[in-house]
Amino acid sequence: MIVCSRCEKENQDHYKFCLGCGAELPRDSNGPRSLAAPNASEGRTTNAPPAHAAGSGALASAPQLDIALPTPEPVQPAPVPELEPLPAELAPLSDATSPCTHCGADVPENFRFCHVCGHDLHSDLPPASDLESPEERVSPPAVAEAPEAPAPLARLVLIQPDGSEGESFPLSGGPTPIGRSTGGIFASDAYLSPEHAEFRFEGDQMVVKDLESLNGVYIRIDADVPIELFDGSVFRVGQEILRFEGPTAPDPAPDGTQHAGSPHHGFVGRISLVIGRDSTGNSYPVPPHGIHLGRERGDVIFPEDGYVSGLHCRIHSEVGHVFLTDVGSSNGTFVRVSNESFVPRGTYVLMGQQLFRAEY
Amino acid sequence: MEQARNYVCTECASAVPSGHKFCGACGAPVPAEAQTLDAQYFGALQMPGKARLIVVRGDEAMGEGLSYLLQATEHVAGREADQIPFPSDNWLSPRHANFVYRGEKLAVRDEGSLNGVYVRIRGSAPLQIGDHFMCGQQLFRVDATPKDSSGPEPDQTYFYSSPRRPSAFRITQVLEGGMDGIVCCAQEQTAEIGREDCDINFPDDIYLSPRHAKVEMIGENLKLIDENSQNGTYVRIRGEKELGHGDYLFLGRNLVRVEVTA
Repeated sequence: MIVCSRCEKENQDHYKFCLGCGAELPRDSNGPRSLAAPNASEGRTTNAPPAHAAGSGALASAPQLDIALPTPEPVQPAPVPELEPLPAELAPLSDATSPCTHCGADVPENFRFCHVCGHDLHSDLPPASDLESPEERVSPPAVAEAPEAPAPLARLVLIQPDGSEGESFPLSGGPTPIGRSTGGIFASDAYLSPEHAEFRFEGDQMVVKDLESLNGVYIRIDADVPIELFDGSVFRVGQEILRFEGPTAPDPAPDGTQHAGSPHHGFVGRISLVIGRDSTGNSYPVPPHGIHLGRERGDVIFPEDGYVSGLHCRIHSEVGHVFLTDVGSSNGTFVRVSNESFVPRGTYVLMGQQLFRAEY
Repeated sequence: MEQARNYVCTECASAVPSGHKFCGACGAPVPAEAQTLDAQYFGALQMPGKARLIVVRGDEAMGEGLSYLLQATEHVAGREADQIPFPSDNWLSPRHANFVYRGEKLAVRDEGSLNGVYVRIRGSAPLQIGDHFMCGQQLFRVDATPKDSSGPEPDQTYFYSSPRRPSAFRITQVLEGGMDGIVCCAQEQTAEIGREDCDINFPDDIYLSPRHAKVEMIGENLKLIDENSQNGTYVRIRGEKELGHGDYLFLGRNLVRVEVTA
């Protein structure tokens, strides 16, 4: 636990920035630097003090990355970790109430719909009101707004924790290995295996191969495009590593007795939090109609992970297959590459503590 | 005019004092009914010291409200049992449990069944790692927290794991068919189960109370606490367990109540 010296909020050990106020947290320089979600500040607008950013709605309106960092002074205001403004109706219950225009019930002021009769209270307001539209609440993914630098060569562009671009690594034609033994910025990343991954081209397609690394290679999936999950598929949401396990069950006893248990709602598998090489923590079965994951909303929530969006991704099944869909999260949903995978242009690739964008 | 106070010999009309088997005047035998001073029970169900089982929620074929008087020394319940049969419940082993008398006391013994015998706890009960318990329609197992396996490899690569929080034990939901369902790591020392606002929630289980039960690690010991739930919390017995009046048991899907006449 790291206690923020500015606002005194308790943060988990591997957080780089305080979840309460956004201040940079001190790090233990001896231990491995843990992998804070690398694109935490994607879509962040601002070098303004976090307090202003949170209240002003500026988050929503100016998504371009501020890449020019003229003075690399350590006293730069810390970027705010991903903490989307909560939609007003999802905020904690307001004490203040006002009567419903339809049934007269006392409705908390931050509710959009009357909790007694379901009346849409916003329908009473003039349409030209300056209320946020739902689209404006969500920070657009930085990917869409990232400046398209002309890239004569294929390269991996390092994305720094504040969302700005760092070094580029050219990928010239032949297979290029990357790992801790590559040196440079990789040398100090304790979560990279010595030989971690290899990049190459097949025709004009970039391909990444996981060299049986300990922590794997993750590729960000496109929003709203379902990706199939298989037994053992691993994906990452914020700082959480999750594994999908297909349904398994022991055989009934030879005498015909069935295993007793809780009602089985036709679960298609379950997702488990990976907390060690051979151990998982909390698990949740996935019913056929699916589950949502998010920091604040959904069936499985991560209230302490500021890198998870309010509503982040969904898992559901269709015709006997199970799919993972990012539902427009700010920091993305990353799927671990099984052996090797194409890397489409502009895709974000996560290895160890490093986040890259593939450009070619 | 008044009635004779004793049995009167039908042969010689002499009064016979109670307890005599023969008339002292003429030697005629006294009928057995007249010899007993103690009142008899109208039925065997009234006999003291003998227990009976009332099926509160029953097997489809056998129905609810059945009662079994436990008059013998052993009474086997199971899918293919003669004495207490539940033929259509495939959660029961053919020979599942045995109700036996230990002196004056009734006890239930698990006959090595697949799914076990669950007895409702009164207030709280000690638990051990690996124990099973039931709340509402839900079945759980208490598991140990696995050892931290996220340290470095021989090549000094560190395993990246999701954030871990301190947790003394975990509760695993066991689904029908034997697959594990929800796993919930305790919030430090406790985990609470109910329909809402708990660590493990089942909003659609109508037999659960809003806050039903919790498991606590106190020192080195696990404790299961029923939070005054409507339908109670049941623990799988190990081996044999003594029963008393008002105890409830789950045998497969069948819920039975123990009645012992004092």
